[in-house]
Amino acid sequence: MNNQSMTDIASQLVDIAKQSGASHADALSVIDTGESIDVRHGKLESIEHEDSRGIGLRAFVDTGKGLAFASASTSDVSEKGLKQLAEQVVNMANISEPDPDAMPPIGATHPSTDELHAWQEKHPHQQHGWTTEQAKEAAFSCEAAALAYSDKIANSEGASTSFGETSIAYAASDGFVADYERASSSLSISVIAGEGESMQRDYAYTRARKAQALRNPAEVGQEASERTLRLLGASGLSSCNTTVVFEPRIATSILSHLVSAINGRAILQKRSFLHDAVNEKIFPDFIHINDDPDHMDGMGNRLFDGEGTRCSARNIIEQGKLTGFLTDRYAAKRLGTTPTGHARRGLTGDTGIGTSNLILQPSKESLDSILHDINDGILITELMGFGINGVTGDYSRGASGFLIEHGKISRPIQGFTIASNLKDMFANISHIGNDLTWFGSTAVPSIAIENMTIAGQ
Amino acid sequence: MNSSILSIAPETLSNMLNTMVPAHADDADLYLQHSISESLSLEEGRVKHVSASTAQGIGARVIKGEVSGHAYTDRFETAALMDAAKAARAIAESGHTKSPLAVHTLASPHNLYVSENPMQRVDLAQRKALLEHIDALARSIDPRVQQVFANVSASFSHIHIIRMDGAHLSDDRPLIRLNVSVVVEENGKRETGGAGGGGRFDLTRLIDTNEAERLTREAVRIAILNLDAKAAPAGTMPVVLGSGWPGILLHEAIGHGLEGDFNRKGSSVFSGKLGQRVAAKGVTVIDDGTIADRRGSLNFDDEGTPTQRNILIEDGILTGYMQDKQNARLMGVAPTGNGRRESYADCVQPRMTNTFMLAGKDKPDDIQASLDEGIYAVNFGGGQVDITSGKFVFTTSEAYYVKNGEIQYPVKGATLTGMGHEVLQKVSMIGDDLALDPGVGTCGKGGQSVPVGVGLPTIRVDELTVGGTEA
Repeated sequence: MNNQSMTDIASQLVDIAKQSGASHADALSVIDTGESIDVRHGKLESIEHEDSRGIGLRAFVDTGKGLAFASASTSDVSEKGLKQLAEQVVNMANISEPDPDAMPPIGATHPSTDELHAWQEKHPHQQHGWTTEQAKEAAFSCEAAALAYSDKIANSEGASTSFGETSIAYAASDGFVADYERASSSLSISVIAGEGESMQRDYAYTRARKAQALRNPAEVGQEASERTLRLLGASGLSSCNTTVVFEPRIATSILSHLVSAINGRAILQKRSFLHDAVNEKIFPDFIHINDDPDHMDGMGNRLFDGEGTRCSARNIIEQGKLTGFLTDRYAAKRLGTTPTGHARRGLTGDTGIGTSNLILQPSKESLDSILHDINDGILITELMGFGINGVTGDYSRGASGFLIEHGKISRPIQGFTIASNLKDMFANISHIGNDLTWFGSTAVPSIAIENMTIAGQ
Repeated sequence: MNSSILSIAPETLSNMLNTMVPAHADDADLYLQHSISESLSLEEGRVKHVSASTAQGIGARVIKGEVSGHAYTDRFETAALMDAAKAARAIAESGHTKSPLAVHTLASPHNLYVSENPMQRVDLAQRKALLEHIDALARSIDPRVQQVFANVSASFSHIHIIRMDGAHLSDDRPLIRLNVSVVVEENGKRETGGAGGGGRFDLTRLIDTNEAERLTREAVRIAILNLDAKAAPAGTMPVVLGSGWPGILLHEAIGHGLEGDFNRKGSSVFSGKLGQRVAAKGVTVIDDGTIADRRGSLNFDDEGTPTQRNILIEDGILTGYMQDKQNARLMGVAPTGNGRRESYADCVQPRMTNTFMLAGKDKPDDIQASLDEGIYAVNFGGGQVDITSGKFVFTTSEAYYVKNGEIQYPVKGATLTGMGHEVLQKVSMIGDDLALDPGVGTCGKGGQSVPVGVGLPTIRVDELTVGGTEA
């Protein structure tokens, strides 16, 4: 690809698509470079180097009965490769069924040139900030701290780091072209305590854009060991109805179920249990959830979405009330609303819907005080399985964690399920913690939900 | 510049190999992949999502003891390829290069599926017509059908593996899948149901058979059934699992725990249990990558090892783990043809292929009739396992509450949970009706997804925890 930038290639591809018969087109290019390192028992286990690029094209053709579209991707960015891609997509679009509501990539509310410049200044090109040696050292010291934490840490699944940079360029046939770069780094560890059939494992991790912003490796290792040790001796419990406290690490799943249910596309497809919930109070008054595309702690910052629509901060849940659905331009048109800037697209396939940085606002109450308040219940630290029905909201998942008795954690428990319906779970939130924790692009505190069914012995 | 991975000159590959393999390496290989895929989706009566992708690249790998170096690139300039070779070698530090190797072609050990593009005989317009037919059929079956989603996808991968000994193997891997799901509505109540099928065969098989109609009827049947489903019970009780896809029990409860990497590292609850009883008498579990046309089958694995039929549990006794080359070498056993990677840009892991339990002698009707009070689970969604503690879960998609041996009513999707090292010891009846799944399984491990198969005869498990809401 010589000296040509991927931005130029994206624009060029849009032009080639139009020459090949597309009436509108947009293109996305992605370059990923990075390394992953695994260490285990103080020794290097593997190093992986990644160097990949890809370009995706979406093209619309006018069929006379409306616009039809198709999309495809390739890693071949030679002139011949781009031409082949354009011809393939136009051919496919001619087979695709036209949609009277199709939204070609023209006329989106793009950010202005000034906004693009301001964004670049505020979010300059960042490097992950790690050399291979530094990353290796971080992994070694993370694992060493975990193993040194206690004699009861019997085994290690190793510590892993990965770091790299992604460059993304977007070009649309209305002339909008923009690019941005993202760095990312992470460190994780998993350790095992106990032996034979009483083994337990748990993990800890840290993620940030720049390696310097990661948590201290030793602290991450110690957290993994502490979490693992407290699971030792876990046993079952009897079936009951009780209050379930989700610690932040797994409370993120509650937010992702909400996002799936207010996805404008799912609403159009009648695949959501919240299809008629706009302006309804679906949570208690004290729940506020917002999406912030420009947050210093979040990894989901973005100026524009997958269709070039300018992103802006949005309250999703205000005092318990659902303010609206999340949309791309197509869903917004069909639902008769304004696009919310939540289009998410990959190199190929239709656009999806996704949030930027999703935050459930914390309270002032500590987890200890919540446990004291609920007196009896369970604290969940792990969830397993996929028992969620998005159409009805029915919820049933495997879980493990701790029994809460007399307002305090009494013993580790496992081998049970928690079940309810998401509508009821949202409405039955009784407490929110002050322990707001970031996990990439989601920030949540602990959440307590009353009246869930526990199936145990 | 090469525009296709398949056009890289043999000398370049030979140079790469000779550059990257130090004399003291235990193993090394090059993995070249060129994959095309096409997908058409129907929703709201229209096939309006047509998409495709072309992915190609090369993975270079060097292994020394427990350490491995990997480099992946999708650039085919000679310089980029040599950089990848050097990056992969970096873990081996210094050391002389092996004496020059000659690359030579090795014939494929099996011929389990067609080696032609599975899409070439059914063009996009025919696939679109198939989906439109499904839409019309679903709506005609029952007026309560409100939404129909149908997807047909197909891929074709050319794989070339050049092993450290210079052997060059190649495989052409077709994979197709058809999925149908519907949303039904009655008196304001909505439910969903789905069905799917596929394997390593040509798309003509979907067109020339009644497979599409069968899947459509099944999706509608499940959705309508779910409209009347009541809350599942909560608690521990006997469960009868139907034949076919419920074999996901084996995949989650014991399959992952028998993968070589976890056992070498001692992180599986099955570590050190070879030769011990891990299941009831009569339970024999096989992982077989050599079944013709199956989704989980491969002519050879992603390290060039021929796939085979591996007995994991024989009459209740643990007899073997599933291995890739590195873990097999470190454990002092032979590789089993289970070394798999999602793509050139992923590392090799020991993975399952098609995992199933052999049939027993019981009649399925007798097994259901044996339930005084419990759940008869005919079909499932996905599952998950913690291989260290043995905890596993899987979620029903079609299940019934049974009392005195008689089906009472369908129950809503519920997660079932148990311990992997205990559950097969509680199998008390095994049906004579072994069936393999319809070809829908995708297994995730360490961020990589690979196609797999499962199978099961009807079985009775005396005790599983059922995660309903009816205490």
